[in-house]
Amino acid sequence: MRYIRYNYPTRRSVPAAAFGRGAWNGLESEFDRLFNAAFASSGVTAPTGRFPVDVYQDDNNVYVRAELPGFKRDAINVEVVDGYLTIEAKREAESEKAQRAAKFNRSIALPDDVKSDGVTAAYSDGVLTVTLPKKEEAKPRKITVEVK
Amino acid sequence: MNLIHSLIPSFSRAPVVTSGHREEDLGPTVQPHYEVKETDDAFGLTVTLPGVTKQDLEITSDSDSLRIVGKRSWTRPEGWTVLYRESTDATFLLELDHEGAVNAEKAHAELHDGVLRLSLPKADEVKPRRIEIA
Repeated sequence: MRYIRYNYPTRRSVPAAAFGRGAWNGLESEFDRLFNAAFASSGVTAPTGRFPVDVYQDDNNVYVRAELPGFKRDAINVEVVDGYLTIEAKREAESEKAQRAAKFNRSIALPDDVKSDGVTAAYSDGVLTVTLPKKEEAKPRKITVEVK
Repeated sequence: MNLIHSLIPSFSRAPVVTSGHREEDLGPTVQPHYEVKETDDAFGLTVTLPGVTKQDLEITSDSDSLRIVGKRSWTRPEGWTVLYRESTDATFLLELDHEGAVNAEKAHAELHDGVLRLSLPKADEVKPRRIEIA
């Protein structure tokens, strides 16, 4: 008995013309399209539900960036209550441009070292950035000790 | 690697080129949320592109497809550390086939607060036509 190892046909063993422009090529792109559609919603603001929020910090402030495309500035409401930041955004349905009405609401627990006053917010290009100053005692301090 | 390729031959195959354009290196991309509306003489496309400015948006159209590439211009300033992240830095990429049904030369685009509104007039060939009865 002889043992013959079966080699799967790869591109190297089969001439390219055999598989090059077959019926399967279109199918592959069709699968790509299906997968793209299935995973398209991840990380992207959908018309309903939650919007993505990022929290950053540096030495003096904590920054919250929220992706809220297509809102008027006065329709965005930012509140800080009891260590929670609440972002609320509303949009009425526009008649002719026909954008859907939407209402987003989200609360984020803030780090303990954040002051509740002096909070500022800016909105540009559909991204809301909230700047929350840290408490004085939480900021890194440089203490110079005089050596006698 | 050779073993993987011999087990799953399709891994060694070059990706199928779906349409005419050459793929430049965009890095990771994500498809933005979009809506298409149709009226008698135009298509209206609404794409949400948070964090994309006019300079970083590129809309190209060829004979049968429309391609929107939006790069995020914002980069994390020096000294900021991440506490928590949900959004991605991936470039927005949306490719839609229109198969010549729109007149891209008369297209009109507006970008406001991260929302792109694109109005694409229909090509004359696909507009509803009244046929006179002789």
